[in-house]
Amino acid sequence: MSDDGLDPLIHVPTRLKIVATLAALPQGDGLSFTRLQDMLELTPGNLIVQLRKLEEAGYLSSERTGNGSAQKTTVTLTSQGRKALEAYTEALRKLLGGL
Amino acid sequence: MNHTSDAAGNGGTFSPEEAAALLDQTTQEARRKFQPSPPWLLASRAVLVLAALGAIWLSVRGQHPYRGPTSRDIPILVGFIVLNFAVTVGVRRRATAGITGISRFSQGEIIALTLSFVVTVVAMAGLGGAGGHLATYPTSVLVIPGLTFAGLMAVRANWPGVAIGCSLLVMGIGGAFAGPAGAWAVAAVGLCVMLLGHAAVNSWQQRGAS
Repeated sequence: MSDDGLDPLIHVPTRLKIVATLAALPQGDGLSFTRLQDMLELTPGNLIVQLRKLEEAGYLSSERTGNGSAQKTTVTLTSQGRKALEAYTEALRKLLGGL
Repeated sequence: MNHTSDAAGNGGTFSPEEAAALLDQTTQEARRKFQPSPPWLLASRAVLVLAALGAIWLSVRGQHPYRGPTSRDIPILVGFIVLNFAVTVGVRRRATAGITGISRFSQGEIIALTLSFVVTVVAMAGLGGAGGHLATYPTSVLVIPGLTFAGLMAVRANWPGVAIGCSLLVMGIGGAFAGPAGAWAVAAVGLCVMLLGHAAVNSWQQRGAS
């Protein structure tokens, strides 16, 4: 956590967009890698790197189904990730004096 | 204070003001794209249902005795149902593409909803065969599906969904007090109000604070 209370893991444009997009789904719902990539207009490589960082921190989980070319990856925001976004939003509110 | 962290290469310098704006914009955009029943669709459906069912009410209100919609009215009704179904399925499919989890209807829920329509058709045919007047009321078709939908939504603790199901139920029962011709007006106005209410709720949820 930085000295202004903003979680450095979320306080990066690409990762903030990933977390905010997944948080727009009901808790427990997952989103396919391809739809997420499509919505955020990111390259697969960049998205994989950012997802890995968030997954390592426990903010999201991913599940792979199928084999070969039919393989699908689904990412889900964990409750820890949702709480981290709530805390981040609260920190932003305090910094800006109301969002 | 370090607002750049590893922002370089992922959007450059990033101030709290920019973060707040990006968070708000991304949240609203995602909610809009994930919405299977967008406000514009619900509002259009409200206008169409009022026009279609209202037109039928205008043509049957002077019938003594009641004979039901004329052969000229039936294509309006069928056209509305087909158009509504096609647009709803198309929009819903696009909104829920790639989504897995509780927001999608389970196979059991789809079977229950389908069965509620089948049971309705059978019950109305049986009622009509036995000379029951309620079989000729357009609002009677709303009772069983409304009750089923409310039950399914209650299990999910989806209270706006429960309200929709209960509205259909109330319209179904309320139509019985309006007579066979008046039931068309009850259905037209009731469905229009319900859809506009649903559109308002969805619009409010979409714009809700992040």
